[in-house]
Amino acid sequence: MRWPSRGMIITASALAICFCALLIMMFDYHGAREEAGAAYIERGTIDTGAANLVAAIYLNYRLFDTLFEILVFSVAVLGVRFYLAQQRGSEKEIARIPESQVIRISADLLFPPILLLGIYLVLFGHLSPGGGFSGGTVAGTGLLLCAVALGADVVARRFHEAALERFEWGVLLAILLLALFPVVLRRLPLTDLLSPGRVGNMVSGGSILIYNVLIGVKVFIGTWVIIHYFVRHRGEI
Amino acid sequence: MTSQQALLVLLPFIAAFGLTRRRRLTAVIGMGMFSLTLSAVYLLLHAPDVAITEVAIGAALVTFIYVLAIRKTGRLVIVGDEAPGLLEREGDRITGLEQEILAGFARHLGLDLVVHFLPREEVEEALLRGEADIAAGGIVHVDAEDRLLKTQGHLPTGLFQLTGEDAAEPKQAQETEWIYFSDVLEAVRAQEKGVYTLDLARFIAVSRLGLSGYAVERLSSSFSYIFLLPPDREELHQRLSAHLDHLRQSGELGEMIRRYFS
Repeated sequence: MRWPSRGMIITASALAICFCALLIMMFDYHGAREEAGAAYIERGTIDTGAANLVAAIYLNYRLFDTLFEILVFSVAVLGVRFYLAQQRGSEKEIARIPESQVIRISADLLFPPILLLGIYLVLFGHLSPGGGFSGGTVAGTGLLLCAVALGADVVARRFHEAALERFEWGVLLAILLLALFPVVLRRLPLTDLLSPGRVGNMVSGGSILIYNVLIGVKVFIGTWVIIHYFVRHRGEI
Repeated sequence: MTSQQALLVLLPFIAAFGLTRRRRLTAVIGMGMFSLTLSAVYLLLHAPDVAITEVAIGAALVTFIYVLAIRKTGRLVIVGDEAPGLLEREGDRITGLEQEILAGFARHLGLDLVVHFLPREEVEEALLRGEADIAAGGIVHVDAEDRLLKTQGHLPTGLFQLTGEDAAEPKQAQETEWIYFSDVLEAVRAQEKGVYTLDLARFIAVSRLGLSGYAVERLSSSFSYIFLLPPDREELHQRLSAHLDHLRQSGELGEMIRRYFS
């Protein structure tokens, strides 16, 4: 019986880590507040025009960091595609497990609101909490729910996979070009080319809205590609 | 104590819950609960952006992907025909000696037991196609195919041949449609002609209907019930054999048999 001892070790270490984190969080961190943070809070909204300060930081001041996050996601999708493409899809028909009505009906009911929530999070990312990453994942999860209820093949038939994958890379290229634009034009400081606009308006925050839409589309397609590759090469989900 | 601190104290316990579960689905749900609690902590720490992302990825997407993965790997799929006392439908539940043995085995492996009922003739094909892990339901070792892995018999039995009285030329087994045991029961109840070979458990169930119209012959040899496994599942076969040995030696098997057949 090797399992209980290993489980005990994992559990004990997880508990130790959690309690350490708890101790650290109970201290107040006065030293962590630095000048940059204060400047962001003071001028973030005026500089960028985005009511959501988090979006202002990660899609304007720290866009360089975010570009690499997008690349990390793209490489993850690429990795899934590369390694699963080496595995032959199973030829034999695996008997489909009949789904209960509960899942089908709840998927029908939940899919539109989930998709709407995803679109809302993407479009209002510069005004309220949300953004391209979370909105794209929410919409992708809605699609996953449909794949569970209807079967992944049915959902896959409604998407043109090859065009979708090309589109995904096109979106990545668009993000990079958009980010590169101020650098090529040698505008200093390297800020947004579009005007911040009035804070709180739907169209405000300069390029943040465009970035959010592009990232949202990319994450949505990426989520679907990961799911679909797993289904196609590892059998019916 | 603020609600934030309460949630933080709760987190390690939820993590411990998720890590110590043997059943995979429960462990995954524990993980989802952990993510949900963590996102509540983020929300209380005034980080709604992070909270939304944590819910979308940690609680929804990752849980979903694990559940989908478990659907394929977290099940122990049993195929077999109904056999009274061995593998039997009782309303929505499935009971019987073999069900109890295999449910214990599945629990031991941390898997969920799923039973699909198939006619006896289709069971072996289903195993060879890779649709199921174990065949059960009153399988007697003589008529089992050689290509499949067999376990040691767990219960001795006998074979009985029923012959309808006026059956001048007995129907060949190949000619008959693939039938479930319930169809045989119906046929005997209606006193239909034909030749049926039944094992002891099924024979007892049939004999309750009255066998006045049939000639009964006991095939003279010793038989026992076994489980069948696909030829490429060596490891599962070894573990099932070890599990059966354990049950036999600890006397649990004998007790189960007494409970179902006495």
